[in-house]
Formats: sequence, C-alpha cells, structure tokens
Amino acid sequence: MRVGVLGIGKTPHKIQHQKSLRDLIVEAGTKAIDDAGVDSRDIQALYLGNAASPGFNYENSTGLMGAHHLGIVPSPAVRVEAACGTGAWALHLGCVAILSGLYDTVMVLGAEKMNDLATVEGTSVIAQAADSKEEYFSGLTFPSGVALTARKYMQVYGLTEEDLAHTSVKNHYYGARNPYAHLRFECTVEEVMRSAKVADPLKLYEVCPMTDASSALVLCREDILRDQPDKPQVYITATQMGTGTWYAAGDTLDDAYNLLAKPAERAYQMADLSPADMDVAEIYNSFAIQEPLGIEALGFAEQGEGWKGASDGATWMDGPTAVNLSGGLLCKGHPLGATGATQAVDVVEQLRGTAPADMQRPSAEAGISACRGGPGSVAAIHIYQRLEG
Amino acid sequence: MTVSAIEFSRLGPPKLRLHAMRCTGCGELHPWWERYHCYSCGGRELVEQELAGPGELTNYTVVYYPPRDFLGQEPYVVGHITMDEGVLMPAPVVDVPPEDVKVGTRVKATLRRMKLGHEGDVYYGQKFVVDDGAAGGDS
Repeated sequence: MRVGVLGIGKTPHKIQHQKSLRDLIVEAGTKAIDDAGVDSRDIQALYLGNAASPGFNYENSTGLMGAHHLGIVPSPAVRVEAACGTGAWALHLGCVAILSGLYDTVMVLGAEKMNDLATVEGTSVIAQAADSKEEYFSGLTFPSGVALTARKYMQVYGLTEEDLAHTSVKNHYYGARNPYAHLRFECTVEEVMRSAKVADPLKLYEVCPMTDASSALVLCREDILRDQPDKPQVYITATQMGTGTWYAAGDTLDDAYNLLAKPAERAYQMADLSPADMDVAEIYNSFAIQEPLGIEALGFAEQGEGWKGASDGATWMDGPTAVNLSGGLLCKGHPLGATGATQAVDVVEQLRGTAPADMQRPSAEAGISACRGGPGSVAAIHIYQRLEG
Repeated sequence: MTVSAIEFSRLGPPKLRLHAMRCTGCGELHPWWERYHCYSCGGRELVEQELAGPGELTNYTVVYYPPRDFLGQEPYVVGHITMDEGVLMPAPVVDVPPEDVKVGTRVKATLRRMKLGHEGDVYYGQKFVVDDGAAGGDS
C-alpha cells in the first residue's frame, strides 16, 4: 500500500520576528496546496503538528486555527503533539488516514514559532516535553539530557570530541548550500571545538538553534497520483512509529539504539527494501550525537561506528547513503512541530530531483526519514520512493 | 518549571526525602518518580524506600544554558549518581568546580535549595557533594 505525495511546501527556517505562527502555517500550507494543484476545499482532513503553541505563543486550538486560515473548513482538523516527533506523527496520521480508505486527500502540516520568547523561556517550554515535574527538577535541560547520552557513548565506544565534531562539519557543509536553512555557514573541526560549551561535552555547533518554520504535504490515494503522470511520482511506502524511555536516567545506549532501530526494521519490511536501497536519509540531529545514533539504528553502520561516515565520506553526497543533505537540524534548526514534516519535504525534494543543485543527490530513487524526540521517548520512520509508471 | 502552590503541595514534600521506589513484586528499585508501573516485572505496586545517601557519580554534564528557574547557578553540574543501593538518581553535584568533576567520584546526598520559582518561591531537593568520608550527609 502506498500514499501519494501530491504536494509539498515549506517556509524558510530561521528567526522570523515579522511572522506569526498562523502566517507560517498559511505560507507552507498554501505552497503545498498550490503544488498539489488542488483547492483548499478538496482537503478532507488536516493533521497539524504543533508541539507547544500554548507555551511559545499563548495560543491553542492550533489545528482549528490552521484549518480556518487555510480555508479547509468544514473538513476535520486536529492538532497533533508528540514532543520533537510532532511533525512526523502528523505525517503518520495522514498516511494512516489515506491507507484506511476513509479519506482521498489530506494535508499534513508542521509548524512552530519559537522565537517570540527569550532563549531561557523557550528552554523552559521545551523542557516540558520531558518530565519537568520530576526528572528535570534536577536542573536538566534537553541539551544536557542528550549530553549525558553523548558522554555515555564516548565512554563505551571510544568516540572523542574531535571525532564527533566531523558530524557538524558535514551538516554545515550542506546547510550552507540550503537556502531554507537557519545557519548557512561552513565550519571546521577546530571551529566546532572552539565553539561555546552548551552542555558538556556538547558545544554550540553541535546543538540546533531555535527556529520559526512550517512545512506541509498534501497526501492522496495512490491511484489519484498515478492518474496524474505529469506530476512527480513520489510515494510514501512505509510509516512506522515507536516509543522509548521518557527519562534520561533510564536511557541506556541500547535504548537509544532500539528507539529507532525497531520501527526502522518494521519500515524496511513494510516497503520491502533494505538499508542498502536508501539513496538519501534525513536523520534527526538536534544534537550532533543523535546523527550517529540514527545512522546505526537505520542500518547504515554498526553500533558504535555511526560517527565514522562524517569523516570518511560514507554519509556525504557520494557515499552509499547520503545523510542530511539538507544540513540536518543542526543547520535547519529544530522548529519542534515542523521538523518531522520538513524532513519529509526534504526527502521528497531529493526524489523529485528539485533540491538545490549543490545538495541534490543524483538520481535518488529511495529515501528515509527518522525523527526522534522526548529525547528518548518518541520515534518515527518514513520511507519514500520515486516509482514511475 | 514553576508550579502553583496547590501543585507544589503535592510535588514538593516527597523531594525532601531521599528515596527510591521499590517494586513489591520483584523487589527492583526505581527512581522516585516511578510510582505506577515496574518495567522489570510489570507490577503495579511500588513503595518508597529510603536511601542511605552515598553513591558513585557514573555520568555527568555541565549545564551552561539553564532553564529560567536555575538562572544564576550556571555553569552547574548535573550528574547521574548510582546509589549504593543500585538505583540511579539524576541530581546536581555542587561545592566542586565543574572541571574537577570526574566519573567514578564518590558522592553523597545533601538537602539543598534547588531553585527559585519566578514569583520568588523556593524549591528544595536533593543535591550531591563529594563524599570525603566524613560522617553525616548534610553540610
């Protein structure tokens, strides 16, 4: 069973003081509707991923707000929330909606407007996605929770801080070439090492910025896209989700691996593909250490070796599977609710062959996106394929 | 995060007691917040068990960008402490410069002011100091 990707759209990913949450939603949603060649009234359901508008923007009912301003009323709409996996969960629900046969055409949209608050306030809002009442009572933050995972990984697998810095160098090489990315500059290992400490051993260039953005997809039944051969024939051929531990304290390296590895295994079965078939991958990396964790879980490297590809070339453009040609979250930023949808849009652009030239993998036919969050509690895997004729 | 006075009346007092939760079914010890489900055996009854205080620092990070209610304490160390009873506690490690903190250091719990709420409310909880072998947990 396949889900057609009829249309895609995204806003720039950056600090956008002049734009509101609803401005971003309408911008991305309208682009996707126009790209799909449908009317907003043809959208039969809206799944709007937004992680924390009550905290960031003091507004709620975000799904209904989006439906109103996109002209989707009276079709049903709902806000979807699952921490950093929010946008990917909206995508999953959109796929399930199509696969169920209940709807022919739906919209999946992710959006977050994070920069109305100062960093310290925003950090507190983000911390609510973990157990802010109990575990984070101890002064933990999302960066520091993941820093504990990074130190554990370094202790067990012998990764050095210089080794890990290569991951940021790779992401920034491509991020500098992505006109939609928040941080558009290249950097060296030395610059990563010299960047400010955020949560030891993680440094500024190994941490994503806070970003305002929205991304959207119009999904449809397979035959609807198949009947429009002039449109790019990109389909979602697997959607699989999972949960893991909600607490950094209980999050072992095996847990961090299994979080994505279990749903990835099911996704490869669903699409009847293997890791070797993937030309491109968008892997969640709000913190640099999460990229090797994802690379390993998706089967592109053995456990403990996922970091090597950034220095030996295996995860660059010409490697077996190019990882994060968009610059990843390290450069795009991590607009919580948008991120999963942005990953999907970025993979679809690769399969359509419409990514900016410097970040386009030639002849990409299959790709995968992996989103995680919470930081260890939510997982999402989607596989995409270009299937002509 | 800051909580209301009503909510604090529920959340605050347990944090004054150094304790873990023991599953009455299998005996496994879990962190203090595990009150409903034992991931070792699936049991549903967990009871408080007091902890002695000493443990070993098994992992740590240094926080340079704190949430609002920890502002002014940065940079501060948050560690994973494996208590002598075997359970893992996340907690700040204080009274030691971050650069002197090392995995494997013996530490002990001490009740301290944890943080300030935005309306000036004060939260107390368990922090850890280097265990120099002297008697007593509080300093």
